[in-house]
Amino acid sequence: MAAINHPYAGSPQSGSLPRPIGDINRWIVLAVIIAGVSALFPVLQNSSVTSRGFDLQSIEQEKLAVLGEISLIETDVARLTSLPRIERRAGEIGLIPSFDPFYVSVDVAGPAPAKIPAEFLPGPAEQSVGSAPWWRSLLDWLAPLN
Amino acid sequence: MPQSQALRTGRVLLPAILFSLFATLVVARLVQIQVFQHEQYAAAAHNELEATNTIYAARGSILDRNGHLLATSVETWDLYISAREWRDSLVAAQAANTISIATGLDINSILDSVEGIGFGDVLIARDVPYETGLELIEADVEGLITLRNSARSYPEGDLAASILGIIGTDNSGLAGIELFYEDVLRGEPGRVIYERDTAGDPIPFGLYIAVEAVGGHDIVLTIDRHLQKLAEEALDAAIEAHDAKGGAIIILDPNTGHILAFATSPRLLYSELDLDDPEKVRLLRNVGISDLFEPGSVMKVITAAAAINSGAVNPDTTYIDTGSVIIEDREIKNWQDNIYGEQTMTEVLQRSINTGAVFMAQEVGVLAFHNYLDAFGFGKPTGVDFPGEATGLLRKPGDSDWSAVDLATQSFGQSISVTPLQMVMAVAAAINGGRLLEPRFVRATISPEGVRTEIALVVVGTPIRPDSSAIIREMLGKVVMESGYHPAEPDKYTAGGKSGTANVAVNAVYDDTQIISFVEFAPLDNPEILVFVKIDENQDLLTGTAAAGPIAAALLDATLTYLNVEPDGRRYVEAR
Repeated sequence: MAAINHPYAGSPQSGSLPRPIGDINRWIVLAVIIAGVSALFPVLQNSSVTSRGFDLQSIEQEKLAVLGEISLIETDVARLTSLPRIERRAGEIGLIPSFDPFYVSVDVAGPAPAKIPAEFLPGPAEQSVGSAPWWRSLLDWLAPLN
Repeated sequence: MPQSQALRTGRVLLPAILFSLFATLVVARLVQIQVFQHEQYAAAAHNELEATNTIYAARGSILDRNGHLLATSVETWDLYISAREWRDSLVAAQAANTISIATGLDINSILDSVEGIGFGDVLIARDVPYETGLELIEADVEGLITLRNSARSYPEGDLAASILGIIGTDNSGLAGIELFYEDVLRGEPGRVIYERDTAGDPIPFGLYIAVEAVGGHDIVLTIDRHLQKLAEEALDAAIEAHDAKGGAIIILDPNTGHILAFATSPRLLYSELDLDDPEKVRLLRNVGISDLFEPGSVMKVITAAAAINSGAVNPDTTYIDTGSVIIEDREIKNWQDNIYGEQTMTEVLQRSINTGAVFMAQEVGVLAFHNYLDAFGFGKPTGVDFPGEATGLLRKPGDSDWSAVDLATQSFGQSISVTPLQMVMAVAAAINGGRLLEPRFVRATISPEGVRTEIALVVVGTPIRPDSSAIIREMLGKVVMESGYHPAEPDKYTAGGKSGTANVAVNAVYDDTQIISFVEFAPLDNPEILVFVKIDENQDLLTGTAAAGPIAAALLDATLTYLNVEPDGRRYVEAR
């Protein structure tokens, strides 16, 4: 404290902070900005990672829930197509047990099976058009040397 | 003005020494913890951070031969109450009310289960339906803890319950197919090792080692649900109509050993399952596989097959029946003391003559006859993929209590105990070309990835030649179809068969108590289906032909029609 209150004789009158000297302060400011951004970056990244992590957990839970619902739906379908239900519904809508089937033998060949619609067929295999790529040609040319 | 200097004083020394000592202690402790005890604390921190969870594998489903679901697992919830959070009676009452409304549980029983328990979690309900559990989770009920579980669902109700079996609360098979194929259905549980935060949640992108659970395989049975239903209904109707104690109906593919239907009575019913009742627990075993009976005259099919194959007799070989035969001072008589005179071997089967069967067995010879019994699978397991199979009982030459009378009585199915399945497989071998097959309840498995693996046919042995089998088929065809009318002749198919009416020993004495049966196959020349009907202790005392025969015939007609086999029966052809 004594040094501040008693400056050396002949020194400029002081009572205020030194004025900023142009270049040095800009660099300092830049350094501070870079340091600040660098310090902020991992914070933001960590925050993003944490958020994604919670999202993943949430999606995992949703997946489990969906899988559970799928098994319930499959069970419902099985129950709806079960023999007791089919019998009950058949009776409700007025169906009766069938009589003995009558078998008819014919000498004519059966019809050709129905063709599968094109959209259910696999796409045509891609055929190579033109020459092989240049790198393959180079490899093939180099192959005899190996 | 000269600067003043601080004066040295001894009063600073003591605090400095104390502070230095304190600092030294702190540093020493830090060195102890971070250097000397580093491994110990690192391990403790690691254990604290690390958590392990088991990922339970989904249990495989059970399907019938056509892919219809017979048993599958569904998601459920187990409900626990944190007793600590229910200390406040108002909180407990409100929460219990919410749970009671959602689950239907009695509110007082919920509160009573937590009463007096200060700490810990109390189980109040197991296997709560999935949607109900979700509702409770969304309702955020105070003190309620929900844990995922799974339960077995049977969409077809009680159908084939005695075949499917049951699982326990730990989702492990306890009976039936669920038990036998436990290692296939169960799958492999997975494991997750992860770092967790103070709340117990996984730390994102922290340590995470996961071993995925491998789901169980689905099982495809040989059972056809429609035929199983037919068989169960036919058996129940027969037991009621003939005032019987129980029975079994088996529908088999004699060429593959696939069991298409297997109905038994008494049998397990899911709707009446009560594991606290010893009588119900006894039903966990399948009487068609675990219980023995004396087959009676159905055994004459095997005796005839042995005699034909050995060359001792042919279908037209004759003998003179006098109504009885004496063996070691024991008189063996025909049923109802009938006397038939000169009979062929075919007529022995047609009229089910006991003395004729004794004749055939004696012609084969003692050792050879028992070799044939062994070759046909008697006295040992069939190898069926089902738990609890009985091996059967028969005295053999060389046993201390064997006598020549046993040869005679075993020839017509007494003094020998078999399971219904053993009898069916032996007759199947006699008519399918001579191959003794391993019976199967399961035909294929399906992996979680959808890869289906068929289970191969197993031929256990060839007790007779194909030509002998053809002769036996023809002889059995004459049993059913030679007379103008036979109660066991199907309406639409040619068939062959044999009846059985065996007396049951009560307190080592044979009385009127009987077990009747009929085994039949169709079509005659190329059998596709074999049916065995057994009725226990029918009070009306009708014979196997009169009571079991029509049931077998009707089932053959129904089964072959269902399988779309064109009829070839004379009644059908004549009617057209």
